[in-house]
Amino acid sequence: MNQLLKFGLVLGIICLVATLVLAVTHEVTKPMIDAQGRSEEEAALKQIMPDADSFNKKAADNMEYFEAVKEKNVVGYCIKATGEGYGGYIRMMIGINPDGVIKGVRILEHQETPGLGAKINEVRPGEKDAWFLRQFVGKSARTVEVRKNIDSITGATISSRGVTDAVNKTVTEFLAKIKK
Amino acid sequence: MKLLGEFIKGLWRENPTFRIVLGLCPTLAISTSVFNGIGMGVAATFVLVGSNIFVSLVRNIVPEKVRIPCYIVIIATFVTIADLIMKAYAPLLSRSLGMFVPLIVVNCIVLGRAEAFSSKEPPLKSVMDALGMGVGFTWALVLISAIREGLGNGTILGIPLSSRFDPPLFMVLAPGALLTIGLLIGAMNYFTIKKHSRD
Amino acid sequence: MDLSSYITIIISTVFINNFILSRFLGLCSFIGVSKNTGPALSMGVAVTFVTTMASIISWLVYYFILAPYHLEYLRTISFILVIASFVQFTEIVIQKRSPALYKIFGIYLPLITVNCAVFGVAILNTDVFFLGGRAVAGSFLKSTLQGFGAGLGYTLAMFLMSTIRERLEYADVPRSLKDIPITFIIASLMSMAFLGFSGFKI
Repeated sequence: MNQLLKFGLVLGIICLVATLVLAVTHEVTKPMIDAQGRSEEEAALKQIMPDADSFNKKAADNMEYFEAVKEKNVVGYCIKATGEGYGGYIRMMIGINPDGVIKGVRILEHQETPGLGAKINEVRPGEKDAWFLRQFVGKSARTVEVRKNIDSITGATISSRGVTDAVNKTVTEFLAKIKK
Repeated sequence: MKLLGEFIKGLWRENPTFRIVLGLCPTLAISTSVFNGIGMGVAATFVLVGSNIFVSLVRNIVPEKVRIPCYIVIIATFVTIADLIMKAYAPLLSRSLGMFVPLIVVNCIVLGRAEAFSSKEPPLKSVMDALGMGVGFTWALVLISAIREGLGNGTILGIPLSSRFDPPLFMVLAPGALLTIGLLIGAMNYFTIKKHSRD
Repeated sequence: MDLSSYITIIISTVFINNFILSRFLGLCSFIGVSKNTGPALSMGVAVTFVTTMASIISWLVYYFILAPYHLEYLRTISFILVIASFVQFTEIVIQKRSPALYKIFGIYLPLITVNCAVFGVAILNTDVFFLGGRAVAGSFLKSTLQGFGAGLGYTLAMFLMSTIRERLEYADVPRSLKDIPITFIIASLMSMAFLGFSGFKI
């Protein structure tokens, strides 16, 4: 029994110290990690809607979105969406004007295979934005579909469909929500 | 001189990847690009060195029977620190390594060194051993990822090698990884056998 | 949620994203224990049991403790501790209750604690079925199924590999490729075959 107590004590002390160390590290790094995420979002917003003056963060049920404002008029929305890819979830930002026409799509995070699915975010040399995502611009979000009006990436149908379906579904849901 | 020996053995003679064949999950999964390979190597080296120092320091306090859980806690702490630091200062790298950063916890090299070496040796020796293993692991990762990125994507560290060459995609996919490591270990065996038969 | 999404999880973890052949999780034991069919199958069954249970336990820990109190950064340390304790506990129970079962599975249990597949599936579950700290619909069942599917996929790969390696005993393999290197090369060919599943429309 005495021995058992000693085992527990040693392990307990080590766990306690470990948790303390981690709590401190977490506190120190947290502001930077949060700032990284925010600056990423802001960069995506600015790229999608370069002419908007400001973005207001809003939420409808579980959906997070930004209202793009220019001279006090709402000129569009940027919605955060998640699609299912090949290697996991693909997080993205979708920009639409109030009628649901896509202004731009940006990938925030993905775990797709390099050389295949990762091409959803590939920027060809000499170009400014990803060629796959450029296909979405100017199309009505509710009509986008792989093989219909969006060309799939060779060998990466799952990733292409993941992005396209997420755009279609999220925007359709979003428009239904704000129309209410 | 003896300390240097502890460092050098990890580079070749007891190289964790090619000789002892440990820690393969991350080696194969993230060696799709040289950038990832270097990042993983550095993170694993940090965890190895950090946890080996502490395992060595507490080696006389920790009772035999609960040593493995204690080591695991120490290792997990360093892995989490590495994970948080990477998220804060190198978000791109952290993204592309993804879940393989927390998986360093179950990397057999780390626990293996804690159990086989630093639980018996003083801190300074343990550090040298950990550094050697870490560097050995890193160069192995860089070599494998250079082969895979070069052949499979036609680039090294994102720089295109040749425009005439149409890279076989399968090298960056799972089969390419398994083939590369199999042939590399085979090649190492070949040279070892040759050397021995000459001696 | 509809039934098809649950079936999809099983099919995709067993075939499309096979834990060993496409995610490289649990590779060490795959190379180490796949020499003969008997032990390979025993290991597979033991791993399937542990991955399923680890998925359930880690989901409970994450959902009820880590996520509500924003302690996500303790995920690695708490999961590995919980899994290690669970494996140890199972080992003791089996040893006491059923020595016959212990003879078959006992020696593999300590190996499983540091098996990447077990810890990997726990991490993967929280990565995939929790978004921004919130559980997605049906995440508990999905996690459990993913754990079970991961084990099944592992067993399948183990079984296939062990049958090939048993035959390999009679093959004339070059000396420097014997044992580990040839196993990797075979795994590469198997993995290529499994790549074919990724074209499935599900």
